[in-house]
Amino acid sequence: MVFILGVNFPERNLLKASNTSALTSQHDPRKSLESFFGIGNHTSSRLLARFNIHPTCRVGELANKQVLDMTAVLSDMKIENDLRREVVNDIKRLKETGTYRGRRHALGLPVRGQRTRTQIKTPVKLNRMERRM
Amino acid sequence: MFATRALLGRSVWKGPNIVPLPLPRTLPPSPKHSPIRTQKRAATILPNFVGLRFAVHNGKTYQEIQITEEMVGRKLGEYVATRKRFTYKQSKNK
Repeated sequence: MVFILGVNFPERNLLKASNTSALTSQHDPRKSLESFFGIGNHTSSRLLARFNIHPTCRVGELANKQVLDMTAVLSDMKIENDLRREVVNDIKRLKETGTYRGRRHALGLPVRGQRTRTQIKTPVKLNRMERRM
Repeated sequence: MFATRALLGRSVWKGPNIVPLPLPRTLPPSPKHSPIRTQKRAATILPNFVGLRFAVHNGKTYQEIQITEEMVGRKLGEYVATRKRFTYKQSKNK
């Protein structure tokens, strides 16, 4: 078990997903870095490149220093609950200043001018005052 | 990655949509100064609009809005709805 930013990852987990299907079927295919809210394909690639880690590296193969470096960088970034709070606050600000976009969020309707005659399942599900993420 | 969504709508070389509006000469405007009537909903709200009152056309009437600091950089029309909420009206004669 390796701790990265207070989260415990099994050693056999891939740090980042690999494209080879043989690997993913044998092992646990979960992407450790991308399990953080706010880190996707792009950011995780950048992080790996920054610390000279190959893309099919497993969590257990990381050197101790690399783990510490990674944790240090991640703790500086705006991820997880900080990011969620920022998104919610942005929506709240739109609503409080009385914009059209804020109103659409509050009503649970599409915000960017999509049609509402059919197919609005996603905004109905997600758009709230406290957006679900 | 995108810088911000707000900047993406319009080419940078054009700059903000600055519309000549009859702004009051003295700041802060005298309390008698009536709100600035306009139909230019696409006009960008500039920093020197803060504290002014605008009467923006919604397609039918002019609605008043007070400009606050948070509105800077957005458009006048964003704050004035053009659509009515649907309400069911019961008709008496069928």
